[in-house]
Amino acid sequence: MSLESFLFEALKIIFFPGFVFIFILALFYEWFDRKFYAKLQNRVGPLYAGPLGILQPLADFIKLLSKEDIVPKGVDKVLFTATPLFSLSLSIFATLLLPIFSVKGLLSFEGDLVIAVVLLTFLCIITFFAGVASYNRFSIIGAERSFLQLIGYEIPLMISVISVALNAQSVTISSIVSSQKGLWYILGPNILGFIVFIFAAQAELERIPFDLPEAEQELIAGWNIDYTGRRLAMFRLAKNIELVFLCGLAAALFLGGPLGPVVSGYEPILYTIYFIIKSIFVLAILTIVRALFARLRIDQIVSLSWKYLLPLAIIQFLIVRLMI
Amino acid sequence: MILGLISWARKRSPWIAHFCTGSCNACDIEILACLTPRYDIERFGAIVRGSIRHADILLVTGPVTRQVRDRLLRIYEQMPEPKYVVAVGTCAISGGVYRNSYNIYPGVDSVIPVTAYISGCPVKPENIINGLSFLLKKIGESE
Repeated sequence: MSLESFLFEALKIIFFPGFVFIFILALFYEWFDRKFYAKLQNRVGPLYAGPLGILQPLADFIKLLSKEDIVPKGVDKVLFTATPLFSLSLSIFATLLLPIFSVKGLLSFEGDLVIAVVLLTFLCIITFFAGVASYNRFSIIGAERSFLQLIGYEIPLMISVISVALNAQSVTISSIVSSQKGLWYILGPNILGFIVFIFAAQAELERIPFDLPEAEQELIAGWNIDYTGRRLAMFRLAKNIELVFLCGLAAALFLGGPLGPVVSGYEPILYTIYFIIKSIFVLAILTIVRALFARLRIDQIVSLSWKYLLPLAIIQFLIVRLMI
Repeated sequence: MILGLISWARKRSPWIAHFCTGSCNACDIEILACLTPRYDIERFGAIVRGSIRHADILLVTGPVTRQVRDRLLRIYEQMPEPKYVVAVGTCAISGGVYRNSYNIYPGVDSVIPVTAYISGCPVKPENIINGLSFLLKKIGESE
């Protein structure tokens, strides 16, 4: 590899579409989520930090970084330090799989869709360890709830992803995206799978109506109750990057990813713009779901996923199987 | 420059925890009214957090009784630095109508250091927003 191409690859990983771009995108998505949520509730939302409050997530992040870092007596120090780092690094790794500026992501190999789904489960397991590490009664209940939720939504999520993969006859994200040149899968036979994916993504991100692991009224702050300062900042950033990842994955699997009408020569710029527009559309749906519903009980979540989401996902799978 | 950035971030992102030391709930309801569409303190970046470990500002309402003093101290010591305390309502400032009672401390500031006082019985939501913006200005000056 020559020096120039090495430098080019390094710039790609660091700036665009690598770490810096994902960091900016994560903060922007959190701002969009909060602002749109406030508008739906007839409030104003963040206003004074930057124009229209667009720098609000950045202010929160810097403030949390500059706060005192408390390690309470009795916590498991290794896990207490390791889980924020693991959660951040795994979510950044997951985001590198997304096809942002071309049909292929920064990391693209045979079977990367499987890795993407596995990483989602890993992030939930890290949440569990983070809750257990702080030995607080509320955080342990929150951690247990996040696992209970996992056995509810994980299987419908996987089946909805598998039916997309079956439709494209491939488990590679780039070939799934390029097989949608004619018709997006949401307009094709995969509309049920999209609905299942949206609900499962909401549960994965622990947002209302599935925010039981950090239910504020019952568990104070749930699994992250004892985390302060830098560790909390890392967890919040990891959550936002996971939000970017899930919106981007939904856009890539169901909405054709970065594809759209292009002028030749400007493909990377136009692809990025299409990708951001599509994933913000998914984000808007997630925010509307968050504003519409109230929190469910844990037994209601598990029965919802096993009684309604799983049959919907299986029907989706059968439809795709019969059409091919 | 980094110090300026940190000071800007602290002014723009005050996260609030609310602690009731035994008030009549009037002040608590007015604090909740600040979150509603009419007043909406999320404009300043303020979020009400459940966990005291996440918060920057402790809003204390009600007269401090001998029973609740230890809990208040414990809550205060669990907060990460830099931390600020706001006494909300006449009872929290001075004990209110319970002043000189045998089991009431004369105000929150006789137990923990207080940065801002918001008067009223009960306080008005406008007054809370005024006190909050005063506190934010003070945070900016002290940096």
